Amino acid sequence: MGDITIALTREIVHLNRGIALAVNRGLNRDTNAQLVLLQQWTEGWLKKRGFRSLSVPPDSDKKKSKYISRLYHLVSHKTAATLSGLGWIGKNGLLINGAYGSRLSWATVLTDAPFGPDLPITKSECGECELCVKYCPSGAVQGHLWSMDNPLQELVVYEKCRSLKKERPIFDEKPNCGLCITICPYSRNGQK
Amino acid sequence: MADEAKKKEIFEKLRNGVIQYDEDACKEGAQEALDAGIDPNEAIFDGLVSGMEEVGRLFEAQEYFVPEILMCADALYAGLDILKPHCKQMDIGVKGAVVIGTVEGDVHDIGKNLVKMMFDVAGFTVYDLGRDVPLDQFVEEQLRTDSELVCLSAMMTTSMVGMPKVIEKIKAKNPDCLIMIGGAPTSKDLAEKFGADGYAEDASNALKEAIKMVSFLKKLRDEKAAANK
Repeated sequence: MGDITIALTREIVHLNRGIALAVNRGLNRDTNAQLVLLQQWTEGWLKKRGFRSLSVPPDSDKKKSKYISRLYHLVSHKTAATLSGLGWIGKNGLLINGAYGSRLSWATVLTDAPFGPDLPITKSECGECELCVKYCPSGAVQGHLWSMDNPLQELVVYEKCRSLKKERPIFDEKPNCGLCITICPYSRNGQK
Repeated sequence: MADEAKKKEIFEKLRNGVIQYDEDACKEGAQEALDAGIDPNEAIFDGLVSGMEEVGRLFEAQEYFVPEILMCADALYAGLDILKPHCKQMDIGVKGAVVIGTVEGDVHDIGKNLVKMMFDVAGFTVYDLGRDVPLDQFVEEQLRTDSELVCLSAMMTTSMVGMPKVIEKIKAKNPDCLIMIGGAPTSKDLAEKFGADGYAEDASNALKEAIKMVSFLKKLRDEKAAANK
């Protein structure tokens, strides 16, 4: 739960608490369904207590058909997660949680419920580690350290990342090669 | 034929479905309306659209914000998708073509889409230019389609200022075309000041006004033709 006021535009600034939800990525189709279920529970809980809420679904970039989907791009799951103190954005451009690394899929519920926010994480904890830079097969990971003060820093060149998808038709689904997830020491929980 | 109480209950369900942005309720209500043999046009206007009008009021009263409006619109369209294929074309006595769009600089098109939907149902031919439409495109589209009516929509005062420019341009090219404006910052007085021929306070008024304007235009043309004979 974080205070995400700084990341919001006028349309939704009244919903200034972001509840970041995460489940194990698992790389299967149920992941998003589980997140949506969690969002529905959260929304129900809030509604019962008279608070407004807005769910930003996990695959917000894929939902275009609805009017409400125009607001989805205004909120980033990673922003909600870092402001909730649940992790930082790694060199691989993914959210890294101290315990689960990048193995998490995220969804966000915005609300106007006046919860006390958690302490945000504003700096990368990646340090000198460059495993994802070294192992990225398309050279997309640039190796920059993320910081909340410099949100426009390009961490990953997504063009390059996508190019790999074209070369290897086997990655036709969303899980690209995923090496930057599996190689991350945080994702492996210390295991080699 | 469905009895009045049942009808009222279904309309209420559709209306509340929109107001409480409950897509499932709108879908259910729409299906019930069809099953009960209620006229789909009535279900749309007395159910869904009346709900959206209340939403507009709640927005003005600052009880609803942008996310709620969008969710309400989604609920409305969920019901509309079911009802629309069963709509009989309304017989309004006139047929006409309309060019409609939200003017340059403005991406708010919920109101415009509502109006467009009402025109569709009423049997107008609608050329929808979408949102954030460059001013000249209105002029070009009117000339291309020879539409009787051009409808301009704006949600913001800043984009509204483009309206008189479009009106002037269209009138210069084709004085016989009628222009209607609508949207939050507009008013009857402004419509007159901008040189527009009509003003719509909300979606259902837009339709009434349009019918009036097109019939007027048809009459004018007929008279002209008669005089030339």
